[in-house]
Amino acid sequence: MFRVDPLANPEPLIRRVYSYVAYRVGDGPDAEDLTSETFERALRYKKSYDSTKGEPVAWLIGIARRCIEGRPPSLELSSEYLERADHGDLEDDSLRRIALSSAVECLEERDRELIALRYGADLTARQIAEVQGAKTNAIEVALHRALGRLRAHIEGSESAPVRKSEAGR
Amino acid sequence: MRSWRRNRETGLEAELRASRPEPSREFVHQLEARVRQDGRARRGSFRVAFVASTAVGMLLALSSVGGLGYAATGAGNAVAKAKRIVYKHGVTQVHKSAARAQYRPKVKKCPKGMKRVKGTNRCKKVKRTRGVRFGKPPFTG
Repeated sequence: MFRVDPLANPEPLIRRVYSYVAYRVGDGPDAEDLTSETFERALRYKKSYDSTKGEPVAWLIGIARRCIEGRPPSLELSSEYLERADHGDLEDDSLRRIALSSAVECLEERDRELIALRYGADLTARQIAEVQGAKTNAIEVALHRALGRLRAHIEGSESAPVRKSEAGR
Repeated sequence: MRSWRRNRETGLEAELRASRPEPSREFVHQLEARVRQDGRARRGSFRVAFVASTAVGMLLALSSVGGLGYAATGAGNAVAKAKRIVYKHGVTQVHKSAARAQYRPKVKKCPKGMKRVKGTNRCKKVKRTRGVRFGKPPFTG
């Protein structure tokens, strides 16, 4: 039987996996390391990919999830964006992005995972259900709730703008 | 259905999509090169395996119809022809001919009462055969 190469076109896959990992652990070198590790594992276990079970991106996200779970506990969410925001004059949209990423970081692990899968890896609700071993409806509901909580966080932070670095001082 | 869903996408969702973290171009290029390099290496080994398996398959197919013997004969003939072309020939001598007899060394005749020993130059005395001597037959009539 002819075997499909899951890494035949790696560039969009790298971008999607990185976005997912960055939503989970924060943008920066940690996300790059975990993305590299994901692809190293993918290359090593390329033969285990079964095209009948799903698309390559879902397979890679599964590997990335295991990489994130297996990382050492010292790796905390990187707050590079927040620290950078204090020192420079940023545009409104940049501030908005920072507020959004900080709001995502404030979410619970499960909500963050769902948002990372949906908007980082750009998976459909069905694909997320396959990755997580849940029903599509349950995922859609969970996503809706996670978005609601995220919105509440953003609105809360807009009403009381306290920066992380200031809070830490 | 799809467009309806897209329209229904809230501003927050669009913002999440738009502001999703992107990797640096350098990182993407490096990782892409690494992945492609690995793929090429695997393809190379696949090519070697393919050539080897094709050669083995052809050998098996030929051997089943006696092709190996045919090939061996062909190779043997080719070697023999090559040898014939390369081999340096000397002057051909014919050892047994009528002309040759003209130049053979002269052999002395054996004296009377002697005979040549076969294959040599020597002569030896001929023994006189001793037959039964008959006299004149008696007159009977």
